[in-house]
Amino acid sequence: MRKALSLFLMAVLFVGLLSACGPKRDAEQPKQTNNGTEEAKKPEKLVVWVNDDEKQKQALKDIFQKYTEKTGIKIEMVAVNMLDQTKKLALDGPAGKGPDVFYQPHDRIGDIVLQGLADPVDLGDAKDEYSETAVNAVTYDGQTYGVPAVVETYGVFYNKNLVPEAPKTMDELMKIAKEKTNAAKDQYGFLMEATNFYFVYPFFAGYGGYVFKNENGKYDTSDIGLANDGAVKGAELVQSWFKNGYIPKEITGDIMNGLFTKGNVAVAITGPWNIASYKEALGDKLATAPLPVLDNGEHPKSFVGAKTWMLSAYSKNKEWAVDFMKFVTNEENSLHYYEVAGEMPANEKALTNEKITNDPLIAGFAEQIQYGEPMPNVPEMSQVWEPMGNALQFIAKGDNPKAVLSEAVKTIQDKIAASGAGK
Amino acid sequence: MPEANVRHRPAVAMALSLLFAGLGQLYNRRYIKGILFLIIEAAFLITFYNFLNIGLWGLVTLGEIPMLDHSIFLLIQGLVSVIIIAFAVALHVANVIDARNDARRRQRGEPFPSLVESCRNAWDRGFPYIFVTPGLVMLLFIVVLPLLFMVSLAFTDYNLYHSPPRHLLNWVGFENFKNLVSIPIWKSTFFSVLAWTIVWTVVATTMQIALGLFLALLVNDPRIKFKRFIRTVLILPWAVPAFVTILVFAAMFNDKFGAINREVLSLFGLSVPWMTDPFWTKVALILIQTWLGFPFVFALFTGVLQSISRDWYEAADIDGATRWQKFKSITLPHVLYATAPLLIMQYAGNFNNFNIIYLFNDGGPAVRGQNAGGTDILISWVYDLTFTTNNYNMAAAISLIIGLIVSGFAIYQFRRTRSFKEEGNM
Repeated sequence: MRKALSLFLMAVLFVGLLSACGPKRDAEQPKQTNNGTEEAKKPEKLVVWVNDDEKQKQALKDIFQKYTEKTGIKIEMVAVNMLDQTKKLALDGPAGKGPDVFYQPHDRIGDIVLQGLADPVDLGDAKDEYSETAVNAVTYDGQTYGVPAVVETYGVFYNKNLVPEAPKTMDELMKIAKEKTNAAKDQYGFLMEATNFYFVYPFFAGYGGYVFKNENGKYDTSDIGLANDGAVKGAELVQSWFKNGYIPKEITGDIMNGLFTKGNVAVAITGPWNIASYKEALGDKLATAPLPVLDNGEHPKSFVGAKTWMLSAYSKNKEWAVDFMKFVTNEENSLHYYEVAGEMPANEKALTNEKITNDPLIAGFAEQIQYGEPMPNVPEMSQVWEPMGNALQFIAKGDNPKAVLSEAVKTIQDKIAASGAGK
Repeated sequence: MPEANVRHRPAVAMALSLLFAGLGQLYNRRYIKGILFLIIEAAFLITFYNFLNIGLWGLVTLGEIPMLDHSIFLLIQGLVSVIIIAFAVALHVANVIDARNDARRRQRGEPFPSLVESCRNAWDRGFPYIFVTPGLVMLLFIVVLPLLFMVSLAFTDYNLYHSPPRHLLNWVGFENFKNLVSIPIWKSTFFSVLAWTIVWTVVATTMQIALGLFLALLVNDPRIKFKRFIRTVLILPWAVPAFVTILVFAAMFNDKFGAINREVLSLFGLSVPWMTDPFWTKVALILIQTWLGFPFVFALFTGVLQSISRDWYEAADIDGATRWQKFKSITLPHVLYATAPLLIMQYAGNFNNFNIIYLFNDGGPAVRGQNAGGTDILISWVYDLTFTTNNYNMAAAISLIIGLIVSGFAIYQFRRTRSFKEEGNM
């Protein structure tokens, strides 16, 4: 009895504490950004998170220095690994320790906007300076988030010892594959990671496949075009490579790189990040080209990735941060960045500058960019990779492409639904 | 000397000290103690009131205004508040009990110890506790708080579309668990992954223990020479970091380019799809785990075997026991008795052996119509859910189930192991 009484009193005390509820405050909107009619006050410094890479930091240091000379605003450069930045920003931003500007691959934009970490940036007149693909890449829900800095896509590497000229069409490529492949001796005419959706997508898209329908800068995630006739046609093409024994179904990036650098592969499809190691192994025999044209006359539409300067939602100096981002990516600075860090600029004028078009190892990729399309930047994209990768494994094994792709699309839809989208 | 005082009521003392710590003690006319208690409670309320207030409010609502309230921070603050309140309630109960005991003494007219005396008493009796306390408090925040946080997440809707600060979290009760066994994409995958996890744990661990035991017995045979050398060689697989070994094995098992198919099995005209067929991938994983795991068991058993007295075997020889009888009745019970808890840890370790699954083939190969790969165990599936698709709530729910299974298994086994029952009787 006594125990019951004391327990009851304890509960009363506890509930009393509970109902003494919460912080006292007016339920007003947390922040009102002043879309300033007046000139924004010049800050003393801007904090910028850059990717933790020695060459990139070195290139950016010079550019930041120039900006300080021009405007008198100090730039505090903080190196944070690009892929860790959003996690860190989610914690540092609310605590007031975050940056004004941070650096992200464009396909993360959907996640970032969902988490409310970035504000849209008005590119204004500068919009025409950037390549259309790059601007599309940073457009989400009809608004541009961030200023694109560099772009990358994949293309053809070829070994001039084995093939004097790059294959222009798919037929030529298949002829090379037929003539030069001798799997027993580890000799291959043509290799690519054909079970990796990232590299296989252009062959789907070239025939009319698509991931999510894109209309006016908005992706319709309920409309998935990875099992339509075009996608199936592309999948059949990919499957024929395995069936004819051109590409072993156990192919991985490591194996491909190993064989290519040994000089056993005539043509390989991969990205510019392999330039350094390939060049070291093959020297002048190495050259690049855009992807060969399909039999319907279309260029395969490779995925383009854009790395982007983004505006932190917690920044207090938004106007100047945007000014800064545009300065870093202007033609002159983009070229400087390309020369030091070796990455292709998103700035159209810089990309078509002869410094880049005359570089035999970059020219192929720079040309391929114009045929490419940006990777979808909606968060639902993260549900696509695994089912499609699995589908390609089944296709490599010889399963019916139509059935496999329909299943994969169903899985993607289920995963999107199960992940809590739209609730 | 106080006299017996029948009119002094313990119930009143209890009620008063319940209302506010120290009041009961004052009623008992133990003024110094009472004032001390009063000060402590007042200080506690003044210091912590705001923190607890926000914490509890946050724990219940998980925030009200997006971008201003951060549900994750509020959740953690709420959990810390609960821990602090649990401490406070424990102290408060102690204070009530103290008031009752003192009141009863006064009722019976017994003398009270002086302040110095009671301090000395407390020191003598509480000595071990005083030294254990800092460690316990640390443990509470390093182990219990993250655990509580994980458990809480399993009951929220924390995923990509409900990520603070832009969105607030909500409590959803048991919905995540319900989805796990009712939504097709989760259901079929969950049960097949669970089944393989159990098979994997039992088979791989048993094989590594059996191999370790077998080799330990062989090497321990008196007729074997160069024991030290053989032992060193057998322990080598343990000396190389597991992740290096696993990556090397992954390259060696590659269907087309790996050494095993190319150099070894091709001699017999065979080619096994180690990486592309789920069954053979499972076989390869179990073989690799046996290779990685046996040296530890071997070292363990070798140590224990040497401690078995020769006399027992001599006695058995005189009785005419066979080799098998000696092994069954002397060696095996002795060895298992001493090592059972460590062997159980081996099972628990393999249940959550993330490294090997992830590094060997990333849970692959793919299986049609399934959300996880053919060799994904629960923990590698959880990793996928958290880091590739940001389903934090489902990952937390599955982790909770994993935790319950492992701890249930461990507790059951520990209680049945004699070496743990004798704790405290040393």
